[in-house]
Amino acid sequence: MKENPRLQAVQAVRQELASLGIDPFGVQIDRILSPTEGLIDGRPTILAGTNNYLGMTFDPGCIAAARNALETEGTGTTGSRMANGSYAGHRELELELARFYGKRDAIVFSTGYQANLGMISALAGPGDTVMIDADSHASIYDGCKLAGANTIRFRHNDPADLAKRMRRLGAEAGDALIVVEGVYSMLGDRAPLREFVNVKQEFGATLLVDEAHSMGVLGEKGRGVAEEAGVLADVDYVVGTFSKSLGNTGGFCVGDSTDLDVLRYASRPYVFTASLAPATIAATRQALRTLEGADDLRQRLRDNAERLHAGLAALGFQLGAPANAVVAVLVGDKLEALRFWDHLLKNGVYVNLMVPPATPGNESLLRCSVSAAHTPAQIDAICAAFGSWAGAQA
Amino acid sequence: MNHQDVVAQIIDIVTPLAEGRVAVIGEDTELTGQLGLDSLKVMDLVVAVEDQFDLSVPINALAEVKTVGDLALLIQKCAGEDA
Repeated sequence: MKENPRLQAVQAVRQELASLGIDPFGVQIDRILSPTEGLIDGRPTILAGTNNYLGMTFDPGCIAAARNALETEGTGTTGSRMANGSYAGHRELELELARFYGKRDAIVFSTGYQANLGMISALAGPGDTVMIDADSHASIYDGCKLAGANTIRFRHNDPADLAKRMRRLGAEAGDALIVVEGVYSMLGDRAPLREFVNVKQEFGATLLVDEAHSMGVLGEKGRGVAEEAGVLADVDYVVGTFSKSLGNTGGFCVGDSTDLDVLRYASRPYVFTASLAPATIAATRQALRTLEGADDLRQRLRDNAERLHAGLAALGFQLGAPANAVVAVLVGDKLEALRFWDHLLKNGVYVNLMVPPATPGNESLLRCSVSAAHTPAQIDAICAAFGSWAGAQA
Repeated sequence: MNHQDVVAQIIDIVTPLAEGRVAVIGEDTELTGQLGLDSLKVMDLVVAVEDQFDLSVPINALAEVKTVGDLALLIQKCAGEDA
């Protein structure tokens, strides 16, 4: 069978990495030991690239809830909610999410990726306009493609550039859907959400905010950048995920619009996929209850983030954003980033290697995600591993 | 907006991005095939032409753009819609 020419570019990258003996995109954790530790290539390794912001994956309450659901409701739902019906837990989780955000209703999706696909493609279609931040996550770009809408990028985190482009739309600006993220996953920088809300209100448009990396992390009660900026009531739709601070898998959207009552039936990524398993729903509901009262976890997360940020800055590294749960070290050259990443792994620290075109500004990054479950000693060990790179090159 | 004027302005913008890969850039020069622009460079080009012509280019419309001339036609279309 001949090779598919569409895969040649990916194959070339794989071969380049293989020639170096480094495989950053195929790491296997042989055994997971805790939210922050695993065995990789036989070495105990600190996990600093998991997005497990509150360390919820090993929370005893979540594990007990999942175990109980597994034993009483079975392993899976074996189909979509529209075709097979919902379990009571699906709807209860939606109502709990809506209450948590102070919104009228919610929809649960099977992944965070599908939540963006499902919302954007149901809210917009051919002939409509979606305005997206240039540094948007792939799920937002793909949602726009699925929608078939006119998709216009504005400069990253630049409300003035958005406003300029909204003005160009003329009378159609009020029908536009604006999509931004609370925290951008690559660099960990936050959106100026109050300013974006002002633009949305000036033109009468609709605003959707993806809080995947800020739910449970920012805001007094963990409701994200919208809560922190005091504009949660002005955001039409908040999209989020269960796979980060809630320690599971799945996605959701909350909002006040009555459109949510019918939107799910017009959302192909909702309709044509299997619903979340009972154990996932049960653990996520418990995680949400824990998250609501997790002021201590959020404080520990902040302390750890500041410790890592300060430690890496003191070593002279250039960092992507002020201290936050995502701490990105800017490396520049792709080959150096690759070797640096491999050095960290061999010294017992796993972080994410991020290279163009997935990164902003053609920059290669070593991206750390901090957890409330990291100990100060682990944070110091991460800094020490980064600090040993200069000596390793000599 | 005169088509040849738009083509000339695009050539001015794209020349530094092409880094000398093609000696003479014209209307029929392919942006990725001949000039070797990767996806990031193409987006840099789009931002630059948006600033130059003071308009927004929908990224979904770029799928049909292969050459400098195709991009010029898209810009003219966007300018017409914005007018």
